[in-house]
Amino acid sequence: MSIVEQYRTKVKELLSSGQVKMVIGYGAGTTPDRRRPLFMRSPEDADKMLLDNACIANLSGYLVSEGLLSDEKRVAIMLRPEGVRSINILAAESQLKAEQIVIVGFDTAGEELRAIEGSEAKDFCALIDSLKESAPLQAPDPLFERIVQMSPQERFNYWQEEFSKCIKCYACRQSCPMCYCRRCIVDSNQPQWINTSSHTLGNFEWNIVRAFHLAGRCVACGNCDRSCPVNIPLRFINRRMGMEVLEVFDHFPGMSESQEPVLASFKKDDPETFIL
Amino acid sequence: MAKIGVFICHCGENVAAKIDCTQLTAAIGEHPGVAVSVEYKYFCSDPGQESVKKAIREHGLTGVVVAACSPRMHEATFRNACAEAGLNPYLCEIANIREHCSWVHTDKDMATIKALEITRSLVEKVKRNNELRPIEVPVTRRALVIGGGIAGIQAALDIANAGHEVVLVEREASLGGHMAQLSETFPTLDCSQCIMTPRMVEAARHPKIRLLTYAEIERVEGYIGNFKVKVRMKSRSVDMKKCTGCGDCMLKCPVKKISSEFDCGLGKRAAIYTPFAQSVPNIPVIDKKRCTYFKNGKCQICSKSCPINAIDFTIEDEFLDIEIGAIVVATGFQIQNTAMYGEYGYGKYADVITGLQFERLASASGPTSGKILRPSDNSEPQTVVFIQCAGSRDPSKGVRYCSKICCMYTAKHAMLYAHKVHGGKTHIFYMDIRAGGKGYDEFTRRAIEEDEASYVRGRVSKVWQENGRLMVRGVDTLLGRPVEVAADMVVLATAIIAQPDAKEFAKTVGIGYDEYGFYNEAHLKLRPVESSTAGIYLAGCCQSPKDIPDSVAQASATASKVLALFSKEQLEREPVVASNNEATCAGCWGCVLACPYGAIEQKDILDRSGRLIKRVASVNPGLCQGCGTCVTFCRSNSIDLAGFTERQIFAEVMGL
Repeated sequence: MSIVEQYRTKVKELLSSGQVKMVIGYGAGTTPDRRRPLFMRSPEDADKMLLDNACIANLSGYLVSEGLLSDEKRVAIMLRPEGVRSINILAAESQLKAEQIVIVGFDTAGEELRAIEGSEAKDFCALIDSLKESAPLQAPDPLFERIVQMSPQERFNYWQEEFSKCIKCYACRQSCPMCYCRRCIVDSNQPQWINTSSHTLGNFEWNIVRAFHLAGRCVACGNCDRSCPVNIPLRFINRRMGMEVLEVFDHFPGMSESQEPVLASFKKDDPETFIL
Repeated sequence: MAKIGVFICHCGENVAAKIDCTQLTAAIGEHPGVAVSVEYKYFCSDPGQESVKKAIREHGLTGVVVAACSPRMHEATFRNACAEAGLNPYLCEIANIREHCSWVHTDKDMATIKALEITRSLVEKVKRNNELRPIEVPVTRRALVIGGGIAGIQAALDIANAGHEVVLVEREASLGGHMAQLSETFPTLDCSQCIMTPRMVEAARHPKIRLLTYAEIERVEGYIGNFKVKVRMKSRSVDMKKCTGCGDCMLKCPVKKISSEFDCGLGKRAAIYTPFAQSVPNIPVIDKKRCTYFKNGKCQICSKSCPINAIDFTIEDEFLDIEIGAIVVATGFQIQNTAMYGEYGYGKYADVITGLQFERLASASGPTSGKILRPSDNSEPQTVVFIQCAGSRDPSKGVRYCSKICCMYTAKHAMLYAHKVHGGKTHIFYMDIRAGGKGYDEFTRRAIEEDEASYVRGRVSKVWQENGRLMVRGVDTLLGRPVEVAADMVVLATAIIAQPDAKEFAKTVGIGYDEYGFYNEAHLKLRPVESSTAGIYLAGCCQSPKDIPDSVAQASATASKVLALFSKEQLEREPVVASNNEATCAGCWGCVLACPYGAIEQKDILDRSGRLIKRVASVNPGLCQGCGTCVTFCRSNSIDLAGFTERQIFAEVMGL
């Protein structure tokens, strides 16, 4: 049996036994190489399910849709390891209860599609631990290396040019599992800290503020980057912030559901006396 | 329509020398919404304040900006003036054109432009200021004093004598602290115990003081006026109600060779003991780590010897929950272990002792009954070398700060030695003689002139043993040559350090501390006895090294703070507190974690049938200190700080 068949059987079993009310997975997209989310509510829906190397979107953001989890019924979701980390962060930030989510794990790292064992976020701890160890050695990217090598002025100019393309469509925000606020700071207009018009200053403000809001929370799933209609390499900003947070605070986001948010927590024995 | 009055203060020449105030007054007068702008030499003076009040009444001002010195200086002054003229005090803002402008710039034209920008920015802010009213919180009129040394006792007595209940908690078996260990005290040479024990007894007998000895603070919750404190009463294994303090148990206890903490290791005590003969309360405790019964399950001799069966090995720790309105922290100090100076041989040579050990030797109630005898052979030392700053003012091995009392007590030691051992010789190695204080310099002069203390300015490099004597090698920096002294005893003036668990304890109580573990005051000069947490005050050496007069003065100062707090039934708090927009709060609880004061709680929003709709953050205005940490953290901008709202700050920034 192929992996896809195995997973279809698993999904059918989850739904027919009533263990979960819905399975969030992947279905066919608009073109053969694209996948879109599939919300399976009955066992038959599982036949439309696909699973292959094109299934790269992090679907965890759908879990925090208004009202989905409020009936306390369990929901299953297909996730890659970084998606599991998103679940941990959402649980740590009280947006969901980790035990309400059944995880159907898979990994597309490398060429081959692999199944991963486990059904709840806590079953993946060892896997995530190993990800932290290898995090600094993540696949090198020539463009990222180039940006890191730039002088501050060059880098500023680079991002200024990239951000000049931004049309403030907020697709990055909509696709990000971490952007769950009921009212985004950019929609707050009393006062209007972030200029909504699509010019350089407003674009800078928006993208930089979003990067700060993701510091210590981004799992590098790449949703923002892929959803950007003007191809701003947003993943690099977040990756750089992630490296910084790991280096300075030894914080790798999404290790467990009890991990404290790095920018909100403080240690009372911190020698920095300005805290109190 | 806003009618803002702008008052530009020359501050004598402080502002006017670098800022063209007339030009500034004219320019700000043109700004939209400014109804009146005037300059004056000193607005903080009486006529200055009167002119502000007059302008408020005459022009019907809706806001006031005083462009002057730092709001730290006169914000309260001008806010009071506004209140007297009928304007809500929170509609008054200070534009700091002195510290932020005139004092730091030399170019008058540029400084004037900057002053205009600062003032304009505050005008824009004040246009959006709201009327705020003080927050009222109920006050529990009962104080907790932590620490039963001289500072704690003084604070407890002062508060209790004013008629308020006090809970005095001491973790050792007796009141007294370090002062009970001392022999005579500088600069008057009165016997420490003679002045201390009456205070201890007074505190123990006071009808308003509840004394809890052998007790520790487990937890502190709540906020000013409304603390909830959990105290652990450590089990003494002796029934406090029955025990008469006859002391038979201590005499009969077979484990007698335990080195006495109170005598700094120079004396011995039993496993059931009171720290010293004048202990208050005079009720022993069993040292469970050394007691044969607690170790092996056999013995119980103390129990058998007790004529009234007061010993009960089954007593367990008890916990008390007490409601408290104000807390005085007087947890004291420890002395540094001087063994880190390998070259001084402390711990290696029995006759190298610390200053506190010398106090025990000199004390009439000490292990030698007040005779100065060498610990090694009980002989009277003929030459004693004192080494000052053995730890203090030494960034490489000891601590960076001055322990403040050592210069005085070393002079005192030399004097006591001279009085007790006639013909004895003293040499004092010192860095500086710091004798600031009433009668202090006279005291050190007396040690030198009358009691022939020989001061050598310089450090000691090495102490070693030779032919049964201690050889001390140092340098006399005034003569510029090395010195070698053969001594019979060496006394090290060790550094005062914070209690070893000071930092842990600060976290339990919720106060700040510095790099050394001393507790931080709210303002070193202007609020020296208040901690950074409202309702918690600091007395004695837990804040910084100090002598007895200073500790007592500070303790009385904390009492006056506590009494001021207790003088009203309701407590008025600055209304500069955070509040949360429950409609937009995402419930991530980042603010709950970020708040250093534990002021943010989770609140359930329920529908009419009681079902949970969502959980949001809710700020307790009694606890909130208005620091704004939550505001900066909140990603959805749901939290706002009264007096510094997003709209006000935005207007202020845009006004620049």
